Amino acid sequence: MSSVLSMAFPILSHWLIVCFLSPLFLGVIAKVKAFFSGKVGPSVFQPYFDLAKLFRKKCVYSSTVTWIFRAAPVVILAVMLVLALLVPFGRFKAPVQFSGDILLAVYLLALGRFFMILAALDTGSSFEGMGASREAYFSCLSELAMFMNFITLALLAKSISLSQMVGAHIPMTWGGLEPALLLVVASFFIVLLAENCRIPVDDPETHLELTMIHEVMILDHSGVDLAYMLYAAAMKLFIFSGLLVSIIIPVRTGDHWTDMAIFFGAMLGLAVLIGIVESTMARLRLNRVRLLLLISFALAFFGLIVTLWRA
Amino acid sequence: MEFLLGGSWPVPFGEFSLKLDPLSFVFLIAITILVLCSGVYGLGYMRPYQGKKPLGFHVFFYLIFALALVLIVTANNVILFLGAWEAMTLSTFFLIIFNDEKSAVRKAGFIYLIASHCATFFLFLMFFLMAHASGSMDFNIMARTNFSPLFAGAVFLLALAGFGVKAGFIPVHIWLPYAHPVAPSHISALLSGISIKMGIYGICRVLWIMKVLPAWCGYVLLMIGAISGLMGVLYALGQHELKKLLAYHSVENIGIIALGLGVGVLGRSYQIPFLAVLGFGGGLLHVLNHSLFKGLLFLGAGSVIQKTHSGEMDHLGGLAKTLPVTSVLFMVGALSICGLPLFNGFISEFIIYFGLFQGLFGLPVHGVIASSIGILSLALMGALALACFSKVYGTVFLGKPREGLRGASHAHLKIGEATSARTPEEQGRCLEETSKWMLLPMMLLAGLCIWIGLVPRSVTGLVFLGGAYLTHVDLSTIPIEQVLTPLTMVIRMAFLFLSLILGLIAVRRLLLGAAPMPIRETWSCGFAQVSSRFQYTSASFARLIVNLMKRTLLFRRHGGEVSGAFPEKTHLASSVHDASEELVFAPGLAFLNDLSKKLGHSRIRHIQLYLMYILLFLVFLLVWKLK
Repeated sequence: MSSVLSMAFPILSHWLIVCFLSPLFLGVIAKVKAFFSGKVGPSVFQPYFDLAKLFRKKCVYSSTVTWIFRAAPVVILAVMLVLALLVPFGRFKAPVQFSGDILLAVYLLALGRFFMILAALDTGSSFEGMGASREAYFSCLSELAMFMNFITLALLAKSISLSQMVGAHIPMTWGGLEPALLLVVASFFIVLLAENCRIPVDDPETHLELTMIHEVMILDHSGVDLAYMLYAAAMKLFIFSGLLVSIIIPVRTGDHWTDMAIFFGAMLGLAVLIGIVESTMARLRLNRVRLLLLISFALAFFGLIVTLWRA
Repeated sequence: MEFLLGGSWPVPFGEFSLKLDPLSFVFLIAITILVLCSGVYGLGYMRPYQGKKPLGFHVFFYLIFALALVLIVTANNVILFLGAWEAMTLSTFFLIIFNDEKSAVRKAGFIYLIASHCATFFLFLMFFLMAHASGSMDFNIMARTNFSPLFAGAVFLLALAGFGVKAGFIPVHIWLPYAHPVAPSHISALLSGISIKMGIYGICRVLWIMKVLPAWCGYVLLMIGAISGLMGVLYALGQHELKKLLAYHSVENIGIIALGLGVGVLGRSYQIPFLAVLGFGGGLLHVLNHSLFKGLLFLGAGSVIQKTHSGEMDHLGGLAKTLPVTSVLFMVGALSICGLPLFNGFISEFIIYFGLFQGLFGLPVHGVIASSIGILSLALMGALALACFSKVYGTVFLGKPREGLRGASHAHLKIGEATSARTPEEQGRCLEETSKWMLLPMMLLAGLCIWIGLVPRSVTGLVFLGGAYLTHVDLSTIPIEQVLTPLTMVIRMAFLFLSLILGLIAVRRLLLGAAPMPIRETWSCGFAQVSSRFQYTSASFARLIVNLMKRTLLFRRHGGEVSGAFPEKTHLASSVHDASEELVFAPGLAFLNDLSKKLGHSRIRHIQLYLMYILLFLVFLLVWKLK
């Protein structure tokens, strides 16, 4: 019984962190953006209120859609919940670690994306088709950059487990401002922005269909389905940020509370950084986005070269 | 782990010697399952042709084909192998040209026949060299011979040329996109699921015989795998015809298998048996997996084509409502081929990835670079395959039925011919679900895809045995648990994922209640007259990616320009052309044709001159001998 509890406790604590804090992350970003545009802005808890409202609403369906449209939100949210277990959150070590879990993580994300794209195409609308096409296109490039980073990290850590590849397990530290790690962080930050459809790749605020990727794909979702989708998107951003923070800050103090404070402080800092990026940059023209993603790939590529040269 | 069955055979140098080893066992399983499933499916698929075409011929060649396949993978003698190989090639030719009244079918058949026979030339040369060096036509005796590395490398290149055509490596894949679409669908399933795997089997057999191969062979295989995989999936993205697209996906998957084999060869050359077993085992598992899901996809495509009489994706749409079971089964195939978790494609790709990452840690620097290229190309292939299959599934099964489908009950429809829109009920009447006997084999294949995806240990034992057999080591000396333990974790997470889905569905039920939800129309910015032509087509979905690669893909578009204040009706056509066909084979063959014509002109038309040439040649021989 106690072994089951000791297994279940880390899993539950991870889920609690992701479920409770991921909307806050979005709230902080929105607050920063409001500050930069000289507004007071909604409270940082606004995403919670939005989700709560959507969870109380019924859904409306199009006469065109099939079961895939209803299945997609469930699949995507389940993907994020499983993914959350593979990523360390500072002091909270990843409850599930094994050699090759990065492959599971990336392919689970792909599974969610597959259902997302199909749900968009299911509506038979040209707007959603547009978003689906862009998502398929950009994810090819961002997945490439992501794997390039993983190769570098795997070489540094001599392991292919996500928990070993980030944080204190990497033998190189920031002592001499490690160039390989710096390149990886820069490249991964771009991947984070692209994968989560933030500015400069996509604008989560605009509701002009022709310029959107993620928002346009969920145009026909409503009620609980939409809540699932938005919740999953918030979790995805939180998980990616958690991963990036773990790469940047290998927590080593040993003290439980200090480590936790460092981690969540860094997460807050990252949210502010994303907010600043979003307020100071405009969304890129669609045919320029690929250049941004190729820059991310190039940075990761140089990271690999530096690693190989050092070895 | 070998069973030998021998018998005398009154053929010079031939011996009727059969052998069953782990390598042939993997292929034999794939053959048995797919030949059986396609056969049952074929019974239903061929029913409309009953009384109109001589089906007896078809069945005859089907059986010859099945027998030849079994003989190829069990033959232990060169002559027997080549005989069976030829029987397979010829019977496949007759199976492909079933609809031989169409010129496109005959053309595709000839391309297949010529490509196969050009390849067989290299096989004869290769086997002759091997038999000469080892002094025997027996595979087992050849395997005991020690060949020099240089000789082994030469044989390896010949094997790539000879077997590569059958396997469909780029650039010698050109027969695939011709032959697959014109063959009856259950034959396309066999062509893609089994026939091209015989090329892989041949390469595996040569790798097994050549115990010591130089490391560059591994790099060559890795590069061929990466190029075939990436170009295959990119070409697939540019296709509009369902079966042609699937044919290009076979090129992609052959590339993935080649990546696995390349890792295996590298592991063997650098004396890292674990790496070798991972690579070979992953490759072999992908052979089995690909035959399952590609068979399933081709059979599903066959059902679509049988019901709608069209394989043009941009004429289809919304079939998930009219063919519900087929659409779910096709979905299983699509998820498997994209290598997504819960399905079998993920298991084999996981093992190959695992091997490539091990290569990062174990190999020298150029091996690290090759492994990185392998990992990146496998990742890109996965993302592109996902784009490609979301395009296929989205355009064929989802959305609204496009124009072309409206007159679907009448065969040979043309676009724009249909005049009146039909209500969904009317469509339901003209499109019924596929017959039970055609669904049954597809269900079996889909079930096996999920089975391997959720219980991989049922097959990993066999494929790793095959991998160890190719590496010439004992499996018990390999720390294979290092990859099996993560796989177990993957499966646990898969079950957690499934239970989470169930839980989330329950939450959704709880929140929504039992009352039916209101049904409205899709949001279209307030525009009332929405036509099904507004939807994204397969071409527009893939346009962004194709545009990025338009130089390599030879992307062409005709028409579509709008001019003037009151533009007239216009027509746009876009297509992707195969570079290796247009830039390598077409000019090459044209040059050869030219050359032979020129030689034909200089041909002498007087018999006296011929006699003189013979005399001169005899004199030359005499001088040469007397020297």
